[in-house]
Amino acid sequence: MLIFGTLRSGLYALAAVGLALSVGVIGIVNFAHGEFLMLGAYLGYWLFASYGVDPLAAIPLGAAGLFALGGALYRTAIQRVLRAPELNQMLLTFGIAIFLQNLAVILWSGDPRTAAIPYKASALTLGPFTIGLPQVVVFALAMGLTVALYAVLGRTRVGKAMRAVAQDRVGAAIVGVEVDRIYLLAFGLSVALAGTAGLMITLQLSASPYMGLLYTLKAFAIIVMAGLGNIGAVVYASLVLGLAEAFVEFYVPNGGGWSEGVFFLLILLVLLVRPRGLFQ
Amino acid sequence: MTASRALSLSRPGRLAGRLGVPLLLAAALAWPFLTVRTQPYLLQLSLNILIFAVLAVSWDLLARTGQLSLAHAAFYGLGAYTSALLATRLHVPIPLAMLAGGGLAVVCAVGLGVLTLRLRGIYFAIATLAFTETLRVVAKQVRFFGAATGLVVPPLFPASLVAQYLVILAVLLATLLVSWSVNRSRWSFAFTAIRTNEAVAAVMGVDVVRFKVAAFALSAFFAGLTGAYYAHVFLFINPFEVFSLAVSVGALVAPIFGGLYTTAGPLLGAVVLRAGEEALRATIRSGYLIIYGGILAVVVLYMPRGLLGVLTGLRLRRPPAVAVTAAPPVGGEGP
Repeated sequence: MLIFGTLRSGLYALAAVGLALSVGVIGIVNFAHGEFLMLGAYLGYWLFASYGVDPLAAIPLGAAGLFALGGALYRTAIQRVLRAPELNQMLLTFGIAIFLQNLAVILWSGDPRTAAIPYKASALTLGPFTIGLPQVVVFALAMGLTVALYAVLGRTRVGKAMRAVAQDRVGAAIVGVEVDRIYLLAFGLSVALAGTAGLMITLQLSASPYMGLLYTLKAFAIIVMAGLGNIGAVVYASLVLGLAEAFVEFYVPNGGGWSEGVFFLLILLVLLVRPRGLFQ
Repeated sequence: MTASRALSLSRPGRLAGRLGVPLLLAAALAWPFLTVRTQPYLLQLSLNILIFAVLAVSWDLLARTGQLSLAHAAFYGLGAYTSALLATRLHVPIPLAMLAGGGLAVVCAVGLGVLTLRLRGIYFAIATLAFTETLRVVAKQVRFFGAATGLVVPPLFPASLVAQYLVILAVLLATLLVSWSVNRSRWSFAFTAIRTNEAVAAVMGVDVVRFKVAAFALSAFFAGLTGAYYAHVFLFINPFEVFSLAVSVGALVAPIFGGLYTTAGPLLGAVVLRAGEEALRATIRSGYLIIYGGILAVVVLYMPRGLLGVLTGLRLRRPPAVAVTAAPPVGGEGP
């Protein structure tokens, strides 16, 4: 159970860290985050089904494509509401989410699509445990990417500029950071990270138009636990969610269905006990 | 008193209101008797439109305090399930059961509101969305609630479409009356102050959380009542339908499309959208919600005052432009 929960948390971390970036750096709470993940999953499915491209090999291409999409969306829409009331920001991204979700329904029907990847069912046996190979690969890759993102934020000039903007927009602008370009970059990156997580989902599960909402909510649960905008704690918060879900699935009767409600319980608990997040 | 009038409508609007409201009311009352024999389908559709209108008008009540609620489907579903269970298992008279549905929605709204409305708006939006999804999980999982198959519900005024129509019309009128009187009362000042700048409102002596919770409870009551009505008229409920995101989305798109923070706007938006949706359904089979998504984005970006603003050009109150000083665009509280 511990292994199961931990493995799952890798994907959660990758999905949530993009959202944390958007919330932390730009201050935009993107309700369409899960929908970009959904687009990534479909991209992975189509690339595999049409051209036989392995979803993992498609990551660079998919990430670039979604980065471009995110950038375009920032320029045409997000940029205009940066100074608008929070309600307008939420409504805009929520509208985008609804739009994308139903676009997917219209284009690809509501049925889930499963890519028949040859090594999907293969498993590793470690002593008494049997673990799916794709799960291990995805966990390693997702955690690797998340850690790489931390390194970029911590070490590089761009990363430092992003953190500066996150802390104080005006101050960063005064010392010469081009805030608008950083926002563009952060939003594109956020969308690309969601898409990458989506591609990885193709490897383990299937793509469906409605999958986005659940991931948006789980990503929210994670960033609420981490503390809004606290990118560093996302990994730990993902672990909490992954383990809690695995716990419910294993120990609660008929737990498979109940685990879909775990994120809400966590959100509520955090809001009750420590609204600033568990890891601050 | 003059100030509150200026708030609600400008002069030509008031004139139109004086003539228009009685006329509209008469038409709405005559409608079922005109259509029941010749066009029962139209009457059936009208029930749908009125349900949608109640949801829209009641959603707007809370929006006036600047909060985005995605829990309207939760209250709608709570009302539907409460009333259905009370009527089938305990044989409570249906009107009473429906009121209990609205009552339970209020209780839940107060609980959720007290917990989350004191925090930043975004926490509230997330919590409401998660609350709805969780209620659906519960309804889907628990055998007592009918699980995934749903519940069969006893009818309200069986075999009388006209009576059913009049009931929901009465509910809508009550909602409109509440919405209208809230906008004319001193509450509207508090709501506007909270929406514009919460910190300033608090300093000026507005009990911010209490007003928000009150608005949330009021809004939830009508959503719960309407959900109960839906159950007893359509006679079957399941978790995927009544707790559907589409309910919450519809409830918020209509006011935004029609014109936020008004009484007429949400009503107008609901009628136009639901009628348009019906016309579109012939061409787009699934995924018609795409229109709602598009409308949301376009309205937020290009027509902040909605249809009402565009149509009449009345000088309604704009949503507050910016409050740069109090709410910096960089929202993170973290490092």
